[in-house]
Amino acid sequence: MPLLVGDKMQKLVLFARNYGIAVITLLLFVLLAATTDGFATERNFRNILDQQSTVLIAASFMTIAIIAGNFDVSVSAVFVTAPLFALTVENATGSVTLAVLVGIIVGLAMGAFNGLVVTRFKVNSFIGTLATSFMFFGAGYLISDRSLMRPAGDIYQQIARTRYFGITSATWIAIIVVIIAALLLSRTRFGRNVFATGGNQEAARLAGVNVSRVQATTFILLGGAAALAGILNSSRSISAQPSDDFSFVFTVLTAVIVGGTSIAGGQGAIWRTITAAFFLAFLSNGFNLHQIDPIWQRLIQGMVILLAVGVDAWTQRRAG
Amino acid sequence: MADLTSQNKTLLTLSGVSKHFGGTQALVGVDISFERGKVHSLIGENGAGKSTLGKVLLGVHQPDAGEMMLDGEAIHLRNPAQGNDRGLVGISQELSLLQNRSVADNISLGREITRGPFVDAKKTRENVLATMERFNMHLDPDVHVGALPVAEQQKVEILRALSRDARLIVFDEPTARLASHQAEQLLELVRSLANSGAAIVYVSHFLDEVLKVSDTISILRNGKLIRTSDRKTETRDSLIVGVTGQEVQNQFPPLSPPDLQAPPVLSVRGISRAGEFEDISLDIRPGEILGLAGLVGSGRSEVAHAIYGASPLDKGQISFAGADLSKASVSDCLKNGMALVPESRRDQGLMLSRSLLENVSLPHLRQFSGVLGLNKKREYEEVDLRCKETRVKHEGLRHPVDMLSGGNQQKILFARAAVGQPKLLIADEPTRGVDVGAKRSIYDLIVNLANQGEAILLISSEIEEIMGLCHRVIVMSRGRISKELVQDNLTEQAVMNAAFSGG
Repeated sequence: MPLLVGDKMQKLVLFARNYGIAVITLLLFVLLAATTDGFATERNFRNILDQQSTVLIAASFMTIAIIAGNFDVSVSAVFVTAPLFALTVENATGSVTLAVLVGIIVGLAMGAFNGLVVTRFKVNSFIGTLATSFMFFGAGYLISDRSLMRPAGDIYQQIARTRYFGITSATWIAIIVVIIAALLLSRTRFGRNVFATGGNQEAARLAGVNVSRVQATTFILLGGAAALAGILNSSRSISAQPSDDFSFVFTVLTAVIVGGTSIAGGQGAIWRTITAAFFLAFLSNGFNLHQIDPIWQRLIQGMVILLAVGVDAWTQRRAG
Repeated sequence: MADLTSQNKTLLTLSGVSKHFGGTQALVGVDISFERGKVHSLIGENGAGKSTLGKVLLGVHQPDAGEMMLDGEAIHLRNPAQGNDRGLVGISQELSLLQNRSVADNISLGREITRGPFVDAKKTRENVLATMERFNMHLDPDVHVGALPVAEQQKVEILRALSRDARLIVFDEPTARLASHQAEQLLELVRSLANSGAAIVYVSHFLDEVLKVSDTISILRNGKLIRTSDRKTETRDSLIVGVTGQEVQNQFPPLSPPDLQAPPVLSVRGISRAGEFEDISLDIRPGEILGLAGLVGSGRSEVAHAIYGASPLDKGQISFAGADLSKASVSDCLKNGMALVPESRRDQGLMLSRSLLENVSLPHLRQFSGVLGLNKKREYEEVDLRCKETRVKHEGLRHPVDMLSGGNQQKILFARAAVGQPKLLIADEPTRGVDVGAKRSIYDLIVNLANQGEAILLISSEIEEIMGLCHRVIVMSRGRISKELVQDNLTEQAVMNAAFSGG
């Protein structure tokens, strides 16, 4: 019966689209737990959680920005630069609270600037945030005077490294931020407006959605999240250094895209991004435990991303 | 002997052709043939299979079963390029042109004359000009296609087809995006192409057009060929019966007159927007259906968008239900009780990948929001109620809307408007691309709303719709109001005259 085949196919495609990443992550988890010594241990999981916390924070809000129809490459620059501002304040005043506050405000301001560039001046978001990245990196070199910065007191390092119930504060903060982002996207008017804006901008505008404001807000929130991630990272390593290293944003983007959030906007979910982040973390954790050459790790990671994007394109066509 | 000539005239024959997509049977055992020098129309409701049939002819879709004979020879087209090579070409609803290239480049695309590895630009261009000359369709070959109006772009596409020695041309809803005088010209062109010996397959919703242009008419319903007959034996009514499978009922529901004493709910005074419209004034009373007629491009939609707050005014006042909305935004207008069903549901109306629920509630989320975010239960109940009221047929409110038919998608926009319980509904081409059955239910909706006291501003390019639904009609031409017509003055002829008056 060709009828049934078609129907089943359609359902399979929809299922793959929605839950494929969860199934694959679970399979990988079971595989690693069964075959790899040292994987299924409490310590290993705590480590993975702690390592992933910065990625999860940024990836949650990156998911929102991409659903609204925009890319933000400047996440790396904010991640690098915001802690330099925070440490400058910490060194000058000794107040960690003030330092964190200033760091996050810098991130929000950088996000607002991105929002302005994209919504007011109508610059393509990929190109626009690439340009602002260099400005933000530059600001980092200026504020730090091109040198490595360390906190003056020893409270700063506790931001990320304090343990509650055996789990680091960085992990707890990440959990809270992820929950906030997920609620924002699925349970508020703002979340619906994000989906609508990314789904069909003109239709959203005619339905009374202030499209520019929605998009700018996604940039501001993402800037704040990237700054928080950067501060946690600097607290963990008890230092911060100016650079123009773009690698963080690619880790973040990989999680979002492997998680099946549509690059075209209008579709995606935070939980899928988070699942994908863990899939990638398990993958590299497994590689490390098996002591596989990092060069091979890269090759395989690249293939995984390509596969994810390919499957996305394929299901789009089938379901379309 | 007679048999022999008829065989010679037949260009393409399909026998027992079937095609399914997923669970939908788009074509079921269709037997049909197309003759040289004849215009053969395919009609039917949305989803009847007429476009699919057109695409099978061109090699865009491959049939699951059945045979195709071209000139007595069996063919199996695996892609449109193979169809093109045999002179089977299509002019589609959505134009497939390179907007940033010139007219000549577009016409010669894929057929450039080369010398060695290089394109011989001069010869290629001469070829294009020769094609224009031969068919007496003249366009500036150096203009960018993107700069041309839709009707001219369509000519580019037709010229492209002709430059490939087309033996069979499939026109799929070619007039859907044209104003009526342009459509007129296109029909003439179609006739002349047939007279020059090509077989024409003409797919259209517009029955009047079909009756005017065809030699032969085939009716499809649910993927089956109902009948093929000579145009002379068909009438508008017989076609409607064939298409819907039901007896013709009165197309329009009865209107009750509005209360002429009531003060207008919307008052527009002297509004202008540079390059779009000038000095527009109009009033609408509660319960009144005001038609806004005119050619495509006369500024009707632009006026609607300005009233709705979607584009700012240069001059003039808009007052609505006691509030001054001259400088209002879309969300101000929504809050004050306006609603818009926009012209293009796909581009301006719906988030196709999102659910019915999200699409219907989007402009009204404030209504369902509290301190703890959205009250999803209340939202669901309200949307469910409105979808039932507007008779949207669906498989679940959480399914994406792109699976639904055009008519149901259009009804979703009416359901969306209804959630806000508006005082004014602006409906811009509410039945475009919707089949005959769904049309009637949309008319019912509009008239019902008016009977409940809602003011309606109806924009339509279909003159029967304007005549059948409106209490009063304002005709626009070139951005200005050219005439206001009521009661005895309101005739088809008067509307057409005013539309073409040139302001």
